Amino acid sequence: MVKSATRSAKPKVDPDAAPQQQKVCSIKKVFYISEKLLNIEGDQRMCLERFYHPGKGQPALFITQDREVMEVLEYAEPRRSWLLNNEVCSNGRTYMTTPIDPTFLALYHLRKHCTQRAMSLDSISVDEANGSTNRLLTKFINAESLKCVADVKTSGELIFYKYNKDRTLAWLALKTRQVVSVLKAKQVHCGLGAKSQNYVRSEKIVDENDVKETDYMRMACDYVGRYLDAGLHDELTRYLEIPSEIQALVEESATAKKRKSQQGQATANSKKIKLANGEDVGTQLRNSSLLDSDDNKESITSPPITPAPLKERSLTAKEKSLAKGAKGSKSIASFFKVK
Amino acid sequence: MSITLDFDAKQLDNKRPLQLHCLPAKIDGNGECGNVDKFFNNYTRESSEYGSGILTNSLRGYPLLGKREPVPKGFKGVVVQETDPHQEQRQLRLTGTFEDFTYWNYDKVPSKGDAYQQALIMLDVADALATPVSEEQLEEELKRYQQAKKENA
Repeated sequence: MVKSATRSAKPKVDPDAAPQQQKVCSIKKVFYISEKLLNIEGDQRMCLERFYHPGKGQPALFITQDREVMEVLEYAEPRRSWLLNNEVCSNGRTYMTTPIDPTFLALYHLRKHCTQRAMSLDSISVDEANGSTNRLLTKFINAESLKCVADVKTSGELIFYKYNKDRTLAWLALKTRQVVSVLKAKQVHCGLGAKSQNYVRSEKIVDENDVKETDYMRMACDYVGRYLDAGLHDELTRYLEIPSEIQALVEESATAKKRKSQQGQATANSKKIKLANGEDVGTQLRNSSLLDSDDNKESITSPPITPAPLKERSLTAKEKSLAKGAKGSKSIASFFKVK
Repeated sequence: MSITLDFDAKQLDNKRPLQLHCLPAKIDGNGECGNVDKFFNNYTRESSEYGSGILTNSLRGYPLLGKREPVPKGFKGVVVQETDPHQEQRQLRLTGTFEDFTYWNYDKVPSKGDAYQQALIMLDVADALATPVSEEQLEEELKRYQQAKKENA
């Protein structure tokens, strides 16, 4: 089978001898190719093509095979390189082919051209040199799936589409929920604490029930929004009634203040006991405020808004050495415990 | 303007797997390097003190912590190379395939917090996003929304 294809003969050279032959080295690329694409029967080769990406506002790379289209996501870290057998590859990126609902790509054109009147897909003309939009709409779009975002009218052979806002938003909302369920299953960090995943064990956070439904919704909505133009993304956010992040921040800080004052009361109560030991309220307060700012480790592992509880502060060097010396002896605190 | 990937699924199976390392360094340069087996792989050690499956090695004196990572399920790892970028019909040729690779970190133990691991979540998100919505679901959602609207009014 392979022998008959002459073009394939070259890369089939003995792999050990290959590095010597490739003196002219253009950069190699590391791909994750979906098996779904590879399993498509047919003689056609996979193709990398550029189509207009509504979320990015410019053409982006897609991979096509027969009538299937997938997005090519590029994963890059600032400082990464590959070592392939005995070769260095300075391009440390990984390209992954991910499935995409081509309806997202068609949706942009439907919104642009078919809001006022119904049109057939091949009559949507876009002013561009290479005709990629036309190819996209006529070859990869499944007429059946467009029912979700448009009113479909059939007249003889021709099918006309008219953009339907209500259906589109409902469709997008369902897509968003699908994403939410994945995020939940994967225990993805959402919300304001999301930045601290390096420090917090994600399992812990989920246990603490710190992540709220709206945070998941907002994140999922942002994911969906990556495939929509800004206007439609806003409409979806309103439809799903997701408060803006700033609004959420304000609310969050309001509740945090409440919590803080409650905690203040609690510590004030506990102080009364210590007052008997001869310390005044002023030093106590100063100590506690110092704890909040100095004790970085604590404030990172605990949810960011609530200040670190007093009991869990880490020891200073002096206290540590004291503790070392006192190893084996009974803790002084045990004398003051309520028996 | 399109680029053809000049191979098919059958060719992939015939290839001997490549050995890949994902290094935490920017290397300015492409092409053959010294004997990786002798100077690098030879020094890969498994060190259980960091957790199971964590490897150690070093690159130019910098310590590395690594982990074997499989290619995500449902995907095939492929390395391609463009033969001649100035041709009219651009083509990517198959260099080799791989089942897994070693992901190296410089200053931290490879974990769920790595950007790479988080990027893999995108694969599942994309899957969920591409799952088609059925007509019944859509009708239900439309009804639900109409009802919610009425209640608010």
